[in-house]
Amino acid sequence: MTATEFALRTDGVGKRYRKGWALRDCTLALPAGGVIALVGPNGAGKTTLLRLVVGLLAPSTGTVEVLGHDVTASTPQTLSRVGFLAQDHPLYKRFTVAEMLRFGRACNLRFDQGLAERRLAKLGIPLDRRAGTLSGGQQAQVALALALAKRPDLLVLDEPVASLDPLARHEFLQVLMGAVAEGGVTVLFSSHVVHELERVCDHLVVLNHGRVTLTGDIDTLLAEHRLLVGPRTATDLDRAGAVVEAVHSDRHTTLLVRDGAIPTAPGWQAQPIALEDLVLAYLRRPSEPRAAVTSGVAA
Amino acid sequence: MTWLIWRQHRTEVCVLGLLVGMFGIALLVLGTGAHDLFPDGPARCAGEAGINEACAASFRRLDEEYGYVENLLAAFYLVPVVIGAFLGAPLLARELEDGTWQLAWTQAVPRMRWLAAKLAALAGVTVALTGMFTAVLTWFRQPFDAWEGRFQYDAFDLEGLVPMAYALFAFGVATAAGAILRRSLPAFGVAFGAFLAARMSVALLARPAYATPLTTMEPVPVGGSKDQAGHRPVSSFAGWMIEHGYADATGRRLSWTEYYELEGAANRAGTNLNQFLHARGIQQFEVYHPADRFWTFQLIEAALFVAAAAVLIGVVVWRVRRRMI
Repeated sequence: MTATEFALRTDGVGKRYRKGWALRDCTLALPAGGVIALVGPNGAGKTTLLRLVVGLLAPSTGTVEVLGHDVTASTPQTLSRVGFLAQDHPLYKRFTVAEMLRFGRACNLRFDQGLAERRLAKLGIPLDRRAGTLSGGQQAQVALALALAKRPDLLVLDEPVASLDPLARHEFLQVLMGAVAEGGVTVLFSSHVVHELERVCDHLVVLNHGRVTLTGDIDTLLAEHRLLVGPRTATDLDRAGAVVEAVHSDRHTTLLVRDGAIPTAPGWQAQPIALEDLVLAYLRRPSEPRAAVTSGVAA
Repeated sequence: MTWLIWRQHRTEVCVLGLLVGMFGIALLVLGTGAHDLFPDGPARCAGEAGINEACAASFRRLDEEYGYVENLLAAFYLVPVVIGAFLGAPLLARELEDGTWQLAWTQAVPRMRWLAAKLAALAGVTVALTGMFTAVLTWFRQPFDAWEGRFQYDAFDLEGLVPMAYALFAFGVATAAGAILRRSLPAFGVAFGAFLAARMSVALLARPAYATPLTTMEPVPVGGSKDQAGHRPVSSFAGWMIEHGYADATGRRLSWTEYYELEGAANRAGTNLNQFLHARGIQQFEVYHPADRFWTFQLIEAALFVAAAAVLIGVVVWRVRRRMI
């Protein structure tokens, strides 16, 4: 792969605030095309990572390269290739929707006003309303229309649906996935909700306590991991370092292993694992420094 | 960017413009009446006030009819901080409060260009509004200045270059405080406090030391009453009196206690005070800045506040460039 085929590459990225490190040793290589989910509990460092990706923050250590360019050297050209939808989809509340679009046109190189107007018309959002008087779902849609009208190559969204009701959430994701289907845009979004990801995403990054604990193509991750259920045992758990998690009940031991598909020992049953359970297992792991478990794209 | 800046800040600009306009028109109306008292111009009349009875009458009427406006105007030393802080505080703080900095700085306009455009436009409006107000106010005060000079606090602080410099300083404090506190209202408060503190300490402590004051020393005149003995020479009348008092024959300055002792001695002896002092070789001295130092002092003080504003703006630029916000 050449550098430009990566939507995002980070190398040893860390960000320290006055309180301490929000993000450490973050090394990622995410492919262009498709949808990448950044998953982690609140306070895991997701917002920090996304702000580093769009150049709102500068890393304390390491480098961030987006679409083949160092983000700290932001020029109009590099900025216009990345769209960002911040948490709680901020808009200028006193601007009308039409003025928000004018803002987008005034501040961008290849802003597609017609596209934004068509999207908003389809959703029935009037252009003459003040942004602050729209419902949360409509504000999110206006913010998304603005970001998409930039015609970005990479669209970054921070918890885009966290504050929306189920209906608005559904509508939002529908519009977003529609835009992805039209092609050309890589989507990177963060979420602390794990379910439904499988349906929507191609690639996964799990962040916990400021560190990347798992990253890879979702299909590959699911193929590599499986649950082994056998008689309760405290020995022979470390199958060549492949055990991610061991859970003991009165009579059984359940192991989450990452070993590909090597044959199971006698008395043990292998089961596939659901994506949500896989993510939760990685999030439950203690936060000691550990190299990120990588898979899928070769770093 | 021009449209965006206007759209975002038009409320503040319009409100301030309206206020400056209203006060400006009021001053123009009142000022026309005050100027009409001096058909030949107040400056010329001030020179003749001692000999020309009409001029003296004009100044008395000025004081009676418009003196209250002059007193009110002293409160207008707050105009620069209102203009500067009102425009500076929301520049970054409002974006940080509403989260819209994330919107503004992820468009195709690099943040440094965004910041430069905003700073230039709003600092420009700050200077322009303060300048217009200062121009009207200076014109209004012409008759008063002709009589009292321009070095008193109610003239020096409201005229010339310094109001613009004060406004820029307030703008700088408010912008920097907004960037650090991330809230408009506290930033406005900080700017207000810093403005008062800086203005007071500079006016009281630094300003008298911009140049070495001149000193006059002359014997107490023999004749006349005490009142006449206290009259000041014309040279320092429009200037700025720093200190005045009495000194003995050797030039050693007397403390006021020593002076009152002499006064008591003169009373007990039953002699005229001036004769009594004159006989003992007592001199009266004045320490003052002459009136023609007005523009020098204005330049020094303006440079001081503009430099402080530049440092504060530098802090803002540095923080935004380092992406610390």
